[in-house]
Amino acid sequence: MSATEELRSQAVGVRRRRLDAVEKVSGRASYAADAAHRGLLHARPVLSPYAHARIVSIDAGAALELRGVRAVLTAADFGALGGSGRRAEPLAADEVVFAGQPVALVVAESEAAAEDGAELVVVDYEPLPAVVDVEQAVLPGAPLARTAGGGEEADTAMHGETGAGDESGVDEARSENVLDVIGYAEGDPEATFEECAAVAEGRFRTAWVHQGYLEPQVALAWPEGDGGVAVRSSTQTTFYVRSDIAQIFGLPLPKVRVEGATLGGGFGGKFALIEPLVVGAALSLGRPVQLAFTRSEDFAATNPGPGLVIDLKVGARDDGTLAALEARVLVDGGAFSDSSPAAFAGGKVGGAYSFEAWRVQMLAVRTNRFGAGAYRAPLATPTAFAIESLVDELAQQLGLDPIEFRLRNVPAAGDARVDGIRWQQTGMRETLETIAAHPLWERRADLPEHEGIGVAAGLFPGGRMGASAVCRLDSDGGLTILSGYVDMTGTDTGVAAIAAEIIGAPLDSVRVLAGDTNEAPLAGVSGGSMVTYCLGNAVALAARDARGQILEYASHQLEVDTADLEIVDGSVRVVGAAQQSISLEAIGSRLAGFGTSHPPVEGHGTAVPADLAPSAAAAIVHLRVDPDTGRVELLDFVAAQDCGRALNPALVEGQMHGGAVQSIGYALYEELRHDDDGQLLTGSFLTYAIPRIDAVPEIETLVVEVPAPFGPLGARGIGESAIVPGCPAIANAIRAAAGVPMRELPMTPRRVWQALQGA
Amino acid sequence: MTDTMVDGTGLVRVGLRVNGEDVTLVVEPRTLLVHALRDELELTGTKIGCDTSQCGACTVLVDGRAFKSCTLLAVRMDGAEVTTIEGLADGRSLHPIQEAFADQHGLQCGFCTPGMILATADLLGRDPDPDDEAIRRALAGNLCRCTGYQGILASVRAAADAVRTPA
Amino acid sequence: MIPAAFDYVRPSSLDEALAELADPGARPIAGGHSLLPMMKLRLARPSRLIDLAGLDLGAIGLEDGAVRIGALTTYDELLGLGEEVPLPGALRDAAAEVGDAQVRNAGTVGGALAHGDPACDFAAAVIAAGSTLVLRSPDGAREVAAEDFFVGPFTTVLEQQELLVELRVPVPAPGEGSAYVAFEDPASGYPLAGAAVRLGRDRGCTVGLTGVGAQPLRAAAVEKAIGDGTDLGEALDMLGLVSVDGDGEHRRQLACVAVSRALEAARRRAGA
Repeated sequence: MSATEELRSQAVGVRRRRLDAVEKVSGRASYAADAAHRGLLHARPVLSPYAHARIVSIDAGAALELRGVRAVLTAADFGALGGSGRRAEPLAADEVVFAGQPVALVVAESEAAAEDGAELVVVDYEPLPAVVDVEQAVLPGAPLARTAGGGEEADTAMHGETGAGDESGVDEARSENVLDVIGYAEGDPEATFEECAAVAEGRFRTAWVHQGYLEPQVALAWPEGDGGVAVRSSTQTTFYVRSDIAQIFGLPLPKVRVEGATLGGGFGGKFALIEPLVVGAALSLGRPVQLAFTRSEDFAATNPGPGLVIDLKVGARDDGTLAALEARVLVDGGAFSDSSPAAFAGGKVGGAYSFEAWRVQMLAVRTNRFGAGAYRAPLATPTAFAIESLVDELAQQLGLDPIEFRLRNVPAAGDARVDGIRWQQTGMRETLETIAAHPLWERRADLPEHEGIGVAAGLFPGGRMGASAVCRLDSDGGLTILSGYVDMTGTDTGVAAIAAEIIGAPLDSVRVLAGDTNEAPLAGVSGGSMVTYCLGNAVALAARDARGQILEYASHQLEVDTADLEIVDGSVRVVGAAQQSISLEAIGSRLAGFGTSHPPVEGHGTAVPADLAPSAAAAIVHLRVDPDTGRVELLDFVAAQDCGRALNPALVEGQMHGGAVQSIGYALYEELRHDDDGQLLTGSFLTYAIPRIDAVPEIETLVVEVPAPFGPLGARGIGESAIVPGCPAIANAIRAAAGVPMRELPMTPRRVWQALQGA
Repeated sequence: MTDTMVDGTGLVRVGLRVNGEDVTLVVEPRTLLVHALRDELELTGTKIGCDTSQCGACTVLVDGRAFKSCTLLAVRMDGAEVTTIEGLADGRSLHPIQEAFADQHGLQCGFCTPGMILATADLLGRDPDPDDEAIRRALAGNLCRCTGYQGILASVRAAADAVRTPA
Repeated sequence: MIPAAFDYVRPSSLDEALAELADPGARPIAGGHSLLPMMKLRLARPSRLIDLAGLDLGAIGLEDGAVRIGALTTYDELLGLGEEVPLPGALRDAAAEVGDAQVRNAGTVGGALAHGDPACDFAAAVIAAGSTLVLRSPDGAREVAAEDFFVGPFTTVLEQQELLVELRVPVPAPGEGSAYVAFEDPASGYPLAGAAVRLGRDRGCTVGLTGVGAQPLRAAAVEKAIGDGTDLGEALDMLGLVSVDGDGEHRRQLACVAVSRALEAARRRAGA
């Protein structure tokens, strides 16, 4: 699909409503917990109160006596499960490795009975030493977070590409809590630092953060057909759930059917986490079972983004070019590393830049906390906090404008990232130039006391995956796109624009349906900034295919060569003689009727992009620090991002807005904290602060379009880069306002105030 | 209408109006209004997003004012007039607030949206021309994770215009 | 998420309600936005809920130099009172800080005070205003000064068979000014440190604090420091400030700033 084709119709670049807007504003959209189901049973997990313990016994006697309680399931009831890691252990069998880990599942006629029953299950534990702090966990002699088993496979590719690295440069004694050491090295960093005119370094600590989707995780499963099972869940991927369930429960793939409900937010946290629990229950009991996590359970027992400790040192030459980088990154992966994005940290620690020489060591560490998962642009925001803070310090040392410094360091296509992956051409230069031209940037030298303006750049390299789509002409002349992708961000609306544009049909005549795993074309995951980029290409091919078939039919009907035909506004017409035409509606109805001599029009497309298409982003933040309290008030926020081609500008801006506010949350508010015994202190919205409407300023968006060579109509996947630059821009603005470099996230009033006291 | 214990069962009979229709519930005293709406009346547009009365996804109107239905007991609603998201539209025509949210992209995943729309309805019922500060204050009890609230602010401003000056 | 099971009764008179409270497992429910959240987490498990909604306790009036506020008055109703009801500025400030719009529609001033949360904006303001709380039991009525009402975390002087029925707030004298300033936890919205300051015509002041102690309290030491011009922080130290998760030093600072800014705002209103 050519990125530079001229647009023909009114479909692309239009700020139209989302396809699902009306059903959502009317309350008719069906989320996973909204579906009625005959004979549905309700499940409630029993969670371990201990961060590390052996299960001695589980006594369900009192629970089973309650009216309405049907069963109390334990790991023994699920039998031997396939697969490995957390998915293969939906209920702890013997060793509990985080406080909040499910050890039993009460299944009852009602939610109330299930909750009553869960309270009555008595579990006898033998507590074991727990290790909670990642810096403690790496030290030789630290308590082991897990004493037996483990066997996880990291399945990180779904979150985007990263370089493999190697185990070189391991230079310290470590405990067995260190699961993985990945190193990247190039050249002689020590020698190169000697040549640098400016060097900056620091230790950065970032917190565990929860994806905070408004819809807590929920799944239901029921036996279906002959030994099969069906699942309906709040998920970012029906096909991965299907293959996981088949593997875990030893079922043939065709006997597992997965429906993706309307998704109430995912942000990386809903990748086949709770389905095994509910499928195990449904298969054990032969009944439909629903598990809808409460918010407290969601905080306690899911897979938030991990905390990091980053030791970073960077050096630049006197002309401002970055030359050397040295980094050691501890990634607190928690108790499970199946979906751990630990592997990403190494590739991200160099941010959006290239260096001449580097040494990076990344340690994935196991602790007795929930298993880490992916949170929108995994590890890009915390690593950007580190690198973008030091980049600003280098710029200051060299007397360079911070944006100018970044412009001097935009990698060329083919330059190496620190993990060895080659940079693609991105729109970083154009994005930085756009933001540099914003009037807010000019105000930074002339601000009242306690105010500061900061800038940061960032991007998520993205990923690519295979995608397929069908484009069908229906009997009403409308076009139906069939895909298997869950619409998490509005991608259906985006790909509808692609199809409408390519075919020449009115935007309103295009429908997009996401079928279940039996009906739909094969799909991957909705995440990794990959859906528009990959599904879009498949849809483009399917639409082209359908267009060709339509023209071929029309050419016979109108007795004109296909080369002399065009499709405009849903009508196939002769170029230069518009009155000679046949509408898509006429074609569709004829092909659907009896006695038709032409096969149906149905286009197919399968695609995988030839390369990645990172979406560059930058932000400028203007804020005021209250020196008496440390509170930060955001005054202005300008976000710029390269979307390649804005299929629907409102959707692009929506991603930028949402990412910006999540970045604000990262920067100022959000932190999952445990005490020394591994008890979660921030297990509800009472203690974990996601930003409220009165905490965010107006966010201005500047949409940049540098077409992606392999993107559909040039579009890039944009969902993740949007969350990256805001947080470091805020850190840089606080430093400008208050004169103190911030080294820990979130930058709460207490931390800012303490930094000011120390200054 | 007065609520009454249903003898021997521990259940209570409650009479109320929901979306303009008379309804009788027979529920345990501990039944939250949000559960009664979703499970007894199958009005699943009202959502449950938390268990500490903060997220606002469960917001409904009771006698015209916004409440978190997760923090109301169904048995206390005798004689009340409840409006859920399903009751806002007039037949097939969307309410101007719903139109505004759809037009101005006041939603992405949509999970917070019913609550957000009803909180907006309470606001505009009291203050037909709210400034941004008033809008933020009125919606501070409704969390959104997807939109960054920008589209929501635009939607409420547009809704206020539409409600003040009907077409 | 779902409370433990309980019985429910809705008395139609105050005497009936008080009689029901003879059952030690019974608890009264007003707005329910303090009690129900605790019941949903099963931290509170009353066996019987006595619904006060049927009682006529929402009247607002003016008598004997005090504004009389019925205990079932919601925050929203209070905030809707016009300027003709002479409420101290600190009370309006504090009521506006509470929760969010939905919570203010439901939460009652009586229910909030009776709940005894150490972090309660309204309690600080009520104390600073020199209010009196009217309590009713089967034995009759008694009055308690607001500053004496709170005795520990979630503990007030209310007996099991006793209800807070009315709040009496002295009408501010000419030349008086009061204000409430709080720094809230961004997650819960509850005050980490909240200070209500009332300045009298004679420049004497009353200071109510919340969030920083085991209960909302009148901070006599802070009042003295303001009068003497001595260090607020040291005065606060004498109260024994709480520290959660090691935040004691910052919380102390927030309390100092809250007092200073409330004092400043009270001065401006007194001068106005």
